[in-house]
Amino acid sequence: MTDAAEVRDDEIAQSPFGERRTLFGDFPLRPETQRTVTIPDAVRRCRWMAVDVNASAFALFFAGPSTERPRLVPCFDSSYPGVAETTRRIAGGDRSAIARHSRTSSVPCLWDDGEDSISAVSFRTLGWAAKIEPPVGGTSGLAFPVHADRGQCGLIVFLGAEIALTPEGMFDIHARCFSLFDAVVRIRPGEGGKYPSISKRELECLKLTANGYTSDEIARLLKLSVHTANQYLTNTVQKLDAVNRMHAVAKALRMGLIE
Amino acid sequence: MNSLAALSDSSSLSVRLATRGDLTAFLMDLTAEIGADAYMLVAIVHEEDRNTARILASNWIHDAIELVGRPLIASLAQTPATAPGARPRSLLASQAPELPGVLNGEEAALLDVLGHREICPLSVQAGRNRYFVLFSAERIDKIDQGALIGAQMRCCYALSQIPEMLRQAAAQDPLSDRERECLAWVSEGKTTDEVALILGVSANTVNSYVTHAIQKLSASNRAMAIATAIRNGII
Repeated sequence: MTDAAEVRDDEIAQSPFGERRTLFGDFPLRPETQRTVTIPDAVRRCRWMAVDVNASAFALFFAGPSTERPRLVPCFDSSYPGVAETTRRIAGGDRSAIARHSRTSSVPCLWDDGEDSISAVSFRTLGWAAKIEPPVGGTSGLAFPVHADRGQCGLIVFLGAEIALTPEGMFDIHARCFSLFDAVVRIRPGEGGKYPSISKRELECLKLTANGYTSDEIARLLKLSVHTANQYLTNTVQKLDAVNRMHAVAKALRMGLIE
Repeated sequence: MNSLAALSDSSSLSVRLATRGDLTAFLMDLTAEIGADAYMLVAIVHEEDRNTARILASNWIHDAIELVGRPLIASLAQTPATAPGARPRSLLASQAPELPGVLNGEEAALLDVLGHREICPLSVQAGRNRYFVLFSAERIDKIDQGALIGAQMRCCYALSQIPEMLRQAAAQDPLSDRERECLAWVSEGKTTDEVALILGVSANTVNSYVTHAIQKLSASNRAMAIATAIRNGII
């Protein structure tokens, strides 16, 4: 509870025009809008959503970076801390179509087992969603592509024969999926949501590297020796658990350490 | 029965976008539906060390765009923008004399005079590409805040249907699929040889893809090309 209150204060403080806007509507005050800090919290939030759409199972995947051979990597599912067989089957095998979709489109996908289940009837009303071949035979489900600030892509899947959803409800659930994914990508770096302790000087060097400066130029700009500039960059690479400078630049940008 | 009920509710009707005209019609309908007066769809591009807005669709008058300026539009779109799933917030020009680093009193007054007294900036995802839609109204409280979430999601869905058109209009992703893929792997810390192995091509080919990508992004080296690509949401 204190967590949620903190978030609100925070937002009001940084939003001079927001004071009279922060309290409207009932949308924000649901249990899952509390700041997610751990994977179990995220699982709990996802379970709330599954309850709201009457789904029997759920899963969250990350979509890998390759556009040619995209891959879904399970993050958690309704069997957490285990991994359900269905989740493995959605991620495994030749299921790249749904992974590619989540990188190139935000349109929700849905599939049903072809019978007149509650899900199948409810899905007919969801005009915006795209019908696809079932990634796992004999199931009905909905898959929401989600995207976070730094280009991370993911997919949140709800499965079940009795999913009940209105078009308006779909907008709402999808919006909540975005918010959940945003919280999940914040957990991942450093595993505790904590950024590695990188010094101001090291960040400066990294920022200049991202802007195309070479070590020589950085040394001149910051009035350092080339060796010191290189040492700063080497430290940064290590602290970010990267393999080289390019990797460190990409990681720092994606984590929001540099702009 | 269910589907009939859905059809009678215009907000749930899906729209198929194919042409530039469809996009305008879609945005005009949505603007009217939520009670706004104006819309603007922009892509943010990183140029010469600052962000600027590339306007893809808008019914703002030309002079308003010129007077406000694209860099300011970019920061208006980005700084307070509501991501999908966050609580929509609006920017009240008349009441926001101080939005440090984004809007000063003079600019706020200008927006007010131009009929954009209340602006709701929303960020919209079409796959991994991000765009911003600014709905604005000349009167405060004219925009139905409760309808914004639905409007935002429908923008995501509609823009997802026309990725090529938007990419070209935004010109923010000049890379070919192969070049983008190579760059993505390099940004994951892979060496040229490793990328060659992953993609099943020769190391020379990989280097040439990366070199082309560096040129197209007007970067001076690999690190800068990766940074530009990430900033512009290309990888």
